[in-house]
Amino acid sequence: MRLPQSLFLLAVAGSTARASSDKISRPRGVAPEYAKFYQDQETFTCISNPSVKIPFSAVNDDFCDCPDGSDEPGTSACSHLSRNSPLTVAERPGYSDVDLAVALPGFYCKNKGHKPSFVPFQRVNDGICDYELCCDGSDEWARPGGTKCEDRCKEIGKKWRKEEEQRQKSRTAALKKKKDLLVDAGRQVKEIEDHVIRLEAEIKGSEVKVEGLEAELKKVEDEERKVVRSSGKGKGKVNALAGVAKGRVEELRDALSVVRGQRDEARSRLKELEDILSKFKVEYNPNFNDEGVKRAVRGWEDYAARELGNDEDTAEERDLDEIAKADDENSGIDWAHWENTEDGCNESDILYKLAAWLPPTLVKFLEDQFFSLKAFLESSGVVSKTEEGSTSESKALTEARNALKSEEDTLKDLKNKLRDQHADLEKDYGTAGIFRALKGQCIKLDAGEYTYEHCFLEDTKQLQRKGGSSMSMGKFVRIGYTSVEELNEAGDVISIEKISLEYENGQHCWNGPNRSTKVVLECGEQNEILKTAEDEKCVYSMLVTTPAVCPGGDEGDSAPRSKDEL
Amino acid sequence: MARSRPTSRWTLFLSFVVLIACFVVPGVTVKHENFKTCQQSGFCKRNRALADNASAQGASWSSPYELDPATIHFKDGQLNGILIKTTSTHEKIRMPLTVSFLESGAARIIVDEEKRLKGDIEVRHDSRANKKRYDETEKWVLVGGLEVSKSATLNAQTETGFTNVLYGPEGNFQAIIRHAPFEVEFQRDGETHVQINHQGLLNMEHWRPKVEHQEGEAPEEESTWWEESFGGNTDSKPRGPESVGLDVTFPGYNHVFGIPEHADSLSLRETRGGPGNHEQPYRLYNSDVFEYELNSPMTLYGAIPFMQAHRKDSTVGVFWLNAAETWIDIVKEAANSNPLSMSAHSKSNTKTHWFSEAGRIDLFVFLGPTPQDISKTYGELTGYTQLPQHFAIAYHQCRWNYVTDEDVKEVDAKFDKYQIPYDVIWLDLEYTDDRKYFTWDPLTFPNPKGMQEKLDESERKLVVLIDPHIKNKDDYFVSQELKSKNLAVLNKDGEIYDGWCWPGSSNWVDCFNPAALPWWNSLHKFDKFKGSLSNLFIWNDMNEPSVFNGPETTMPKDNLHFGDWEHRDVHNVNGITLVNATYQAMLERKKGEVRRPFILTRSYYAGAQRMSAMWTGDNQATWEHLGASLPMVLTNGIAGFPFAGADVGGFFHNPEKDLLTRWYQAGIWYPFFRAHAHIDTRRREPYLISEPHRTIISQAIRLRYQLLPAWYTAFHEASVNGTPIVRPQYYVFPDNEAGFAIDDQLYLGDTGLLAKPVVTQDTFTTTIYIADDEKYYDYFDFTVYQGAGKRHTVPAPEDKIPLLIQGGHIVPRRDRPRRSSALMRWDPYTLILTLNKNGEAEGSLYVDDGETFDYERGAYIHRQFQYRDSVLSSENLGTKGAKTAEYLKTMAGVTVERVIIIDPPKEWKDKSTVVIVEDGAKTGSTAVLEYYEQESGKAPYAVVKSPNVGIGKTWRIEF
Repeated sequence: MRLPQSLFLLAVAGSTARASSDKISRPRGVAPEYAKFYQDQETFTCISNPSVKIPFSAVNDDFCDCPDGSDEPGTSACSHLSRNSPLTVAERPGYSDVDLAVALPGFYCKNKGHKPSFVPFQRVNDGICDYELCCDGSDEWARPGGTKCEDRCKEIGKKWRKEEEQRQKSRTAALKKKKDLLVDAGRQVKEIEDHVIRLEAEIKGSEVKVEGLEAELKKVEDEERKVVRSSGKGKGKVNALAGVAKGRVEELRDALSVVRGQRDEARSRLKELEDILSKFKVEYNPNFNDEGVKRAVRGWEDYAARELGNDEDTAEERDLDEIAKADDENSGIDWAHWENTEDGCNESDILYKLAAWLPPTLVKFLEDQFFSLKAFLESSGVVSKTEEGSTSESKALTEARNALKSEEDTLKDLKNKLRDQHADLEKDYGTAGIFRALKGQCIKLDAGEYTYEHCFLEDTKQLQRKGGSSMSMGKFVRIGYTSVEELNEAGDVISIEKISLEYENGQHCWNGPNRSTKVVLECGEQNEILKTAEDEKCVYSMLVTTPAVCPGGDEGDSAPRSKDEL
Repeated sequence: MARSRPTSRWTLFLSFVVLIACFVVPGVTVKHENFKTCQQSGFCKRNRALADNASAQGASWSSPYELDPATIHFKDGQLNGILIKTTSTHEKIRMPLTVSFLESGAARIIVDEEKRLKGDIEVRHDSRANKKRYDETEKWVLVGGLEVSKSATLNAQTETGFTNVLYGPEGNFQAIIRHAPFEVEFQRDGETHVQINHQGLLNMEHWRPKVEHQEGEAPEEESTWWEESFGGNTDSKPRGPESVGLDVTFPGYNHVFGIPEHADSLSLRETRGGPGNHEQPYRLYNSDVFEYELNSPMTLYGAIPFMQAHRKDSTVGVFWLNAAETWIDIVKEAANSNPLSMSAHSKSNTKTHWFSEAGRIDLFVFLGPTPQDISKTYGELTGYTQLPQHFAIAYHQCRWNYVTDEDVKEVDAKFDKYQIPYDVIWLDLEYTDDRKYFTWDPLTFPNPKGMQEKLDESERKLVVLIDPHIKNKDDYFVSQELKSKNLAVLNKDGEIYDGWCWPGSSNWVDCFNPAALPWWNSLHKFDKFKGSLSNLFIWNDMNEPSVFNGPETTMPKDNLHFGDWEHRDVHNVNGITLVNATYQAMLERKKGEVRRPFILTRSYYAGAQRMSAMWTGDNQATWEHLGASLPMVLTNGIAGFPFAGADVGGFFHNPEKDLLTRWYQAGIWYPFFRAHAHIDTRRREPYLISEPHRTIISQAIRLRYQLLPAWYTAFHEASVNGTPIVRPQYYVFPDNEAGFAIDDQLYLGDTGLLAKPVVTQDTFTTTIYIADDEKYYDYFDFTVYQGAGKRHTVPAPEDKIPLLIQGGHIVPRRDRPRRSSALMRWDPYTLILTLNKNGEAEGSLYVDDGETFDYERGAYIHRQFQYRDSVLSSENLGTKGAKTAEYLKTMAGVTVERVIIIDPPKEWKDKSTVVIVEDGAKTGSTAVLEYYEQESGKAPYAVVKSPNVGIGKTWRIEF
């Protein structure tokens, strides 16, 4: 590395601007923690590149000498040393290959009467008083273009302290609220646990009952079987059934073919309509932005995007064709076989046997609909028509079976409840389960055309203010963490992790995904939506304050985790 | 028959399909059926038929126009006479001709129709339409340069049948006017450069009464004479056929440029078919073309009928001053009939054919000989680029739409958070209350003043959209006033025209009406446009005008404007009449506070440069559109309207990160640098893009800001000389033939900066064409490129903009990044110096307050920097005015903080100081000089530290 020797030989002409009030003078813009680098009054050693030494007179001479910018703590001369700048080799002569490591966080404003802070170098002497960061106005010390920034630290500091006091109060209040939330959450957990104990007891009782009823049913069944056996022939039952079923099937077949005809007609009309709409979609001019047209296209696209089942299912068509054919030995049900058969089985067996002869699609349908079909058969008298003689025995059996069924249902129900309660206990409600206490609480914010609503752990919504519809922006799915980019004290962008509530699968978006919302939480005394944004099409974010995420309190450390600098 | 195996024919077919697919942007194409082809435009078809007929007849074709020698009268640089047109029925039509020879060296030919001048015609359908041919285009377009030449004289040595006029700045131009058939040849130094009616296509469809013929007995094909229908709209054509046409030949010229706006190459293509050529003529009929296609002669939003022909060492041009729908055919033919010599360097004649639907023939002819001469002379006529407010040349952030005033403030804060500079944030139409201009949506923009005040804290600006369509609603004060004051455009029956645009049913302000100006002016006052502050500026969109339910998305041609001119007469200047009204309104919104207006317009005509900036309209987020933006911007530059740009990122659709990044790297070279996006796209403000692209984009934007002193200087030059701000290869090297068609690299003003934006995906090296044998240095690492007439390979990784600087220049920069360009006002300068072959360099700098007109009274700094014989000096180029001293005083503290010399003389290795002599200083002083070697292939450099010479002072630095 070649060092500019001339620097050692020459005292550079130019003013070294130093804050004059300090006795042990610290150069302008240097924070106390960096003062140690500026002690030597003869030679200055660049902080991050100590191999570069320059005469001390070159510090704050408004020319950038150090490859890390450390020689200009009080000017903007090194403000271009940044990753964001289009640097050429000549901006850091001899050091352009060395990684840029800017040494100072910014221009240090003492802000007497308030708290000190750093102003980014790019704001030093730019003609704007940056009171927000530099209440003493020292960032414009050179008065470029006559800019005068009077010291406003007294009033700003006072105001800040007042606000800080308020914030402190608010923080205390928030922590108290948080405590209440934790207590509430704890109480809810306790209630659930108590409920679990109760349920477990009830389940035990129920299980005993079920055992008893099973035994009872078995007994009744045994008796019943004797009765059935003694009731003689069952031959005529199947024949009768076959006869009725045959008529019914014919009837259904006729109805089917009528309905199919109607369906085909409706289908072709739909096709025609869809063709009109797809043509419409291609040919309209979206740039004209006619809301009515746009809405129609949007609606059509949503419609077209939905899977509308396979209406051209040829297998199904074939099956239907098959069904529509008249029955004979080769196709459909061979009624003759059934009409001349003896049956040695009960009603449901018949149904299953029947099923073996039916086309697979219909079987599937039958399986799905078994109970309703059974009910239909029963109600139409097909199944129980010849059972007149055994009514009393059947009643006992039915009662026993029903009693058992009902108790089994109770047990199942109890078990489900228990499972739900266990699941709820295991579910993530945040640290110490604090969000349990907020679940279902709703907050709203009017912003622009809309009112936004957030119901904790349930959903987010958008409501049109000019009167109109409400739109789901997502249903709760999980508690997570989100990286938020914030500025650190030095004005660098850093990434901070914040707790977020995530909501997905809201209303579908035209030309986009289902709406979703990420609710990023910040510590605050109130549950409040601070702002909402549509980060990209139909992907929303909300910034919400709640005491639940305030650091401190009983649940342990929930302070935001800070990631490395970008 | 058995299925045949794929044969070579199939392969051929498939490759053809693949090839076609490569050219077609997937999914989106322009709706051709909405716009006319030449075949669907009656007068285009008729004039093309005339050309076809002439060409079929060959040598036997003779133009039916003769100049009656008895009528010729030459006085004070102007020749008058009567052209006689003999019709097929041997009727003689009289057409007054004026040829003016202007002091500037331009010549102007006007042909009108006597009967119509006298009002001696009948207009059908009881129409109110004006009987004259429209002769007021110049009222909107020309601002000077019309002084006739006192030295122009008739050439005594002229053959019979000819009238020759000698003229031109040095008397070296001659117009040779042949009487029969009428033809004009323009010569420079005895050589013919421009021929008028050489092909005999001069055509002025004279007025005639409509005669009802028996079927099949019409002597001529009249189907397009009396009525034309297109897209469900019928044009009543009350004056019948009335088009004008003329051919212009450029003998020996192979390239023609100009006639924006088209999404096409810089060097215009032939339009009569053939491989690589267009089938349709270039069309100029300002239109809102949705999802426009590339490589097309189709019309777009603006029209400048100004064409330049260029060959080695000579540039000439013509300007067709006509506001009606215009088409231009271009055909090139070999000048020598030897077909074997058809190489790139072969000479050819470029034959052009211009025709407009109505109006007069009004043609300017420029004889150059340099591109700069053409820019200058054309600019004298139509005006130079307005020196813009300084913010206007910085970075603009736009989106349809920033949805609330809070949203705007947040975007503003985010730019600061990420330390990315920007100057202007824009509001598209959604800020309005129900699409009523001059109002704010009370729900989304409840506090517009607070928003503008916030922006003003870092001296940033707001631009809002104001369009010419006024919502037709009784309770809207603008609509009420428009109607009560009778300032709206009328339909053919003389009733207020009602059409459909953003607000639904709308009426259009007629800015042709002088009474519309004071009214439009009043609407922009702070007390009328409530909520507007002085840092609010205007965007005039949809001023073609765009009418959603009109023919070709615009107004019916038989609509009536002020003076009973038909819309057909004035269509192409309609856009700038609105811009003109807005310009007048924005000059002085508050009494005593005169500011340079900033207006962005979509529609334009020649002259728009005096009042506005333009952008290329609704482009798309594709690599092809990125590529097309460069020739479009370059074309606008040479056509006198250089304040041009394209939407960075592409308006429609979502750009991938690499495309967006490359677009920023290209966009910083647009004179008008604005990012914009459609309402249905994802947010894409630069800070939202993930790393590393965010940093790369920030660097690009900061590079633009760093070079703003050079940009502003280039704008100043454009404002006094008409030179383009970014220049194509031929303009900078007019003698280097191999570079004439290059339109993918550009030069920034006179700086010697040569940029070659990457416009294709996954491209990490590129080539830059270098015309001369000077050394060129990579802007960032000083790598040396040398070799004339060659393409040099230059690395172009994603984080690098291929950018060279030619030897021999001094470029002013400001290196300190600020929040906005206004805040750089007090910052010191850095000078970059490269030496040419002779060891010399020069450059210039123009500075002023960037917002007022005080520069007209001397409040500016204009310096000439020169390096010669080891001395770098700064000399004054300005002239003193009433405000000079005051301005210099405010700038007294602004200095040069650094001089970087790339590739300095080797002897400097041992130098450690330089001597500085500033005017007025009693003694000289010294500054440190440091010399740095670099690895081979990269030039060494030297840095002068803190010379601290005043930017407004005269000084020398002796090395």
